[in-house]
Parts: sequence; C-alpha cells; structure tokens
Amino acid sequence: MSIVRDYAFPLALALLLHCGVFALLLQNWQPETDDLRLYEPRAIETTLIVMEKPAPPPVPKPEPTPAPQGAPPPEPKPQPTPTPAAPVEQPPKPDPEEARRAQEERERRDRLQELSEQSTQLALAEELADLRDLEADAETMSYAEGIQRAIIQAWSRPPSARLGMQARLRVDLVPSGDLLSVTLIESSGNPAFDRSAEQAVRRVERFDVPKESRLFEKKFRRFTLLFKPEDLLR
Amino acid sequence: MTQPASILELIANASPLVQAVMAILLLASLASWVLIFQRWFGLNRVQGEIDDFEEEFWSGIDLAELNGELAEREDDLTGIETVFAAGFGEYQRLSAAGTTDPDAVMQFVQRAMRVALTHEEERLGRHLPFLATVGSTSVYVGLFGTVWGIMNSFRSVATMTQATLAAVAPGISEALIATAMGLFAAIPAVIGYNRFAARVEVLMKRYEAFADELTSILHRTVVAG
Repeated sequence: MSIVRDYAFPLALALLLHCGVFALLLQNWQPETDDLRLYEPRAIETTLIVMEKPAPPPVPKPEPTPAPQGAPPPEPKPQPTPTPAAPVEQPPKPDPEEARRAQEERERRDRLQELSEQSTQLALAEELADLRDLEADAETMSYAEGIQRAIIQAWSRPPSARLGMQARLRVDLVPSGDLLSVTLIESSGNPAFDRSAEQAVRRVERFDVPKESRLFEKKFRRFTLLFKPEDLLR
Repeated sequence: MTQPASILELIANASPLVQAVMAILLLASLASWVLIFQRWFGLNRVQGEIDDFEEEFWSGIDLAELNGELAEREDDLTGIETVFAAGFGEYQRLSAAGTTDPDAVMQFVQRAMRVALTHEEERLGRHLPFLATVGSTSVYVGLFGTVWGIMNSFRSVATMTQATLAAVAPGISEALIATAMGLFAAIPAVIGYNRFAARVEVLMKRYEAFADELTSILHRTVVAG
C-alpha cells in the first residue's frame, strides 16, 4: 500500500510532464516543417544548351580557326585545274593534219574520261565525307553531352539567379581539350550570374574532346554555350 | 497529419532498432522523472519530520515518556524516530538488565544507533543509483540509435542512382530524435542525482548530529546515575 501511495503521485506527475513536453513539441513542429517544405523542391538540375554550329567567326580571334576549317575542301579542287591546263598547251603544230586531228580527238576523249572519272571520284569523296559527318554528328553529340555535364557539375548558381536569365559564352579550346579562353558574348543582365557561368567553364579546365582533329577543328575548337536555368521557381 | 515531416511520422518510419532505442529511452525518462518526484517529496518530508522531532526533543519532554509515545505507534516511525528509539530502547534494556559500566552501556547504545543510521541512509539514498545510471548511459543509448539510423539511411542512399539531400535528410532527422530523447532523459537524471545526493548527505549529517547529542545525554545520565 505504501508503495502505491509513494509512487502513484510521482508517476502521475511524470506522465503529465512527458505529455506536456510532447504536446509542446508537436505544436512547435509545424511552423518548422512549413519552412522546410519551402526549401524542399530545390533540386539541382540545369539545362545547358551547347550550340552545335560554331558561330561564324566575325571577330577572328588570334586562333587559326578558319585556316584548318577551310583546309580540307581546297584539297581536291586544285587537281582538276592543272589537268586541263597541260593539254591546252600540247597542240603545237604537227604537219600531218589528219594525224594531228585524230590525236586531238583521242586526247580529248581521254581527257573527258579522265575528267568524268575525277568528278565521280570527287562526288564519291564528298559523299564519303557526308557519311563521316553523319557519324561524327553522333560522336559530336556524345562529346557535347559530356561537356555539358561537366559544366553543369561545376556550375554553382548565385542566389540571385532567376528563371529566364540567359548568358551566352564563347569557349575556345586547344586540341588537348584545355581551355584557351572564355568570352561573354551575351550577358544575362546579372553580373553575378554571368560570373558564375564563366567560373563554371574555368573550373572544368580540361574538356573531353574528340581525338580526331578534323572533328575537333570543326566543332570543338570554338563553340558557344548558353547558360539558362530552367528549374527555378521564380 | 498532412505535414510531410511530422514528428509522429518520423518516429513511425524509423527502423525497428531505433524505435526500440526510443522506447527504452522514453521508459528511462519516465522512470527517472517518477523517481525524481518521489525523492523530491520523500526528502522534503524527511526534513520536515526531523524539524518536528527535534523541536519535540528539545522541548524538555521526558525521554522515557517520548519513547513510550513512540512505542505506541511502532509500525509508523519516521527516520529520526527510529534512530532515537534504537538508542533509547537499547539504553533502557541495558539499565533494566542492571549493567552499570558506563563505557559498556555507551558502546551498545552507539552500536544500536549506528545500525539504525545505516538503515536510514539506505532509505534516503534509495533510487539514486538508478538516476545516476540513467544520467550516464541514456546519452550513449541515444547516440547508438542515432548512429544506427544514420548508418541505415546512408546505406539506402548507396543503392540510389541519384543521392539528393532530400533522400538522406528524413533518415538523419529521425535518427537524431534518438539522441534528443537520450539527452532529454539524461539531463534531469544527472541534475536530480547531484541534487538528491547532496541533500541526502545533509540529512545524514543531521541524523549523526542528533545521534551524537543523544549519546552525550545518555552518557551523562549513566555517569550521573
């Protein structure tokens, strides 16, 4: 009996105290969760559009960009020109006119054939190049995606970033993939945002670019990046 | 509950081991508060009893009469009354047996009172070891629950392809409840232990002082008688 008398009252008090603390906790919990919910949807996901076409270089940087670009096409062209040039000088003035005419006729036919052959070869080469370009497109895409991912990872947006902002940067690389320069070509209007985009590119330092120099020269020597947050609330 | 992270949901979603830890801590906290209240009232009552009895003792009442009064309600003696009853009862028995050697009488009286004092000390300090245990271990128990919960939540993150903060946060939050409960149980227990241990010591000093005074009074009577 004395045990009941000794402990019943303290037990009731202790229970009351715990219930009170728990009720207080439940009540004060709500506003905190409201706050938490406000911050919750901040998933870090950005979309970054890599411009495929290198901007036509209106401002020629010190880089020898246009030179290698133009290099492949002129290669086959000079071939046809010298061929006609040579035969033109060939007819001197042989005495037997018939023989000369026959010879001329033959030569002309030969030349025609040669020319047509060359032209088919040229067409074939062009077609092959197209085919390779198509293949390269897929390759380009995968490299572009890799670069995009690397930059997204390095990009930490300032708190002032808002939906609808966009900054365009021109990036110049050397064939190893190392960064040569970054230039802001279209500001978002928010200097902090522009700086963050530039920082992101600089932070990557070394980009994964195709080993094949033709593809590199064509697509990755110089490209434009569009920074544009798409997941922000406001 | 419509809130995504209500405390009830957090507890309900915790792993069984963490829930068990929480249950243990809740019980420990409840028990330690029961004992805190029990000791609080108990020690206050003991102090009141000592005050009342000392007032009666020094009021000039005849000790034999006082002893007779106490003997009437033998089952319901308070702490200090048992000490008095033990010492005076031994003295009466010895004088009734005709022992006249003062030293021998005092030795027996002191021994009887020492036994009563030991019993009283045990009664006053009851449950204090439990408070000390709760105070020192519940923090570790809570930490264990937290570590286990965080371990689990990180392990589940390892299987996800995308590890976001939102995936880890609820697990850590629910695990941390265990530590919070451990601290909630430990802090009052430690404070209660220290406070009550000090009070028990003070009360024991008063018992001992009273026992010494009774001894000297009885000694005087024996030598004079």
